[in-house]
Amino acid sequence: MKTGLHIGVLYGIYIMGTWIQQLFNLFIPGSVIGLILLFILLMTGIIKAPWVEDGARFFIKHLALFFIPATVGVINYLDLFSGGGLLLVFIGLVSTLMVMVSAGSVSQLLIKSKERSHGNE
Amino acid sequence: MSNLIIGLTAVIGTIICYFIGLKIYQQWRYTFLAPVIIATLILVLSLLFFQIPYETYMIGGGWINHLLGPAVVALAYPLYEHRDTMKQLTFPILTGTVIGAVIGISSGILLSKWWGVSEEVIYSLIPKNSTTPVAMEVASGMGGVESLAAVFVMIAGIGGSMLSSFVLKFTRIYHYTGTGVGLGSASHAIGTAIAMERDSFEGSVSTIAMVVSAMVVSVIAPLFAGWWV
Repeated sequence: MKTGLHIGVLYGIYIMGTWIQQLFNLFIPGSVIGLILLFILLMTGIIKAPWVEDGARFFIKHLALFFIPATVGVINYLDLFSGGGLLLVFIGLVSTLMVMVSAGSVSQLLIKSKERSHGNE
Repeated sequence: MSNLIIGLTAVIGTIICYFIGLKIYQQWRYTFLAPVIIATLILVLSLLFFQIPYETYMIGGGWINHLLGPAVVALAYPLYEHRDTMKQLTFPILTGTVIGAVIGISSGILLSKWWGVSEEVIYSLIPKNSTTPVAMEVASGMGGVESLAAVFVMIAGIGGSMLSSFVLKFTRIYHYTGTGVGLGSASHAIGTAIAMERDSFEGSVSTIAMVVSAMVVSVIAPLFAGWWV
């Protein structure tokens, strides 16, 4: 019951996010605008954490479930994985792994040196 | 068969596949066996086997997909919970994410040019590491194809997540700040779901990386495309 109510609040914020997106013609999706909006509302205390807590925990716990229908959409592009399309898949993957390694190692390096300098103080 | 029965079957089937995936993942804990990947694999194989078109599956799949919006909004909650820790990590997260975005765009362009990929396809590939709606908008703005851009986003999300445990281990990225930034900036929301499954601190880091990455990519992708393509 409470979880349902909290999901309702989250849904409302998502709808507000899509309105903001349409109003200002932004290319950031409504869901991401809603994410930023909820964070601001929580930080400013306009929305109290207990109002969304149970719904948020439910979504986070089963986050992967909500992506499945979209990822199953890969079925319409299976022919890309044969012949010439395979090269594009390869380029996309290599470039993605380069992002993962560069972004990850840079931030790890920075946080490690920060932790080290704190340790020496 | 009425649409209601088809829809309910799709919803129940998806939930069953998700729980099968969850069980397998909890047993072995390998990221390439993450629930989203196992469930997608089972569903794709079943649809192919029974010759069910994706559009028919989406009668019910669309109902679950409809909750993806509020689920993404919910990511703000753990971010808020860990706000004090995240404040400490702001500089490492932002720096890593911006560097990742630049490398993702430039490597995408250069690798494609090297292999003689057509311009239209390059434009569709460039924003692959941001979330689907951002990638589609940015790609079409440059002269790419929206549906192709969505496919590249899926390759980055599913493929990147599947290979993440090997790649992160091999490159000795183990701190939750490093793995979170890596997953969020390379594999956007799917990577964030995987990070969140492991640890809510890592998931929060990944959330920030995903949001910032989408913004940075949307701004700098057209610039790089203008210079290099």
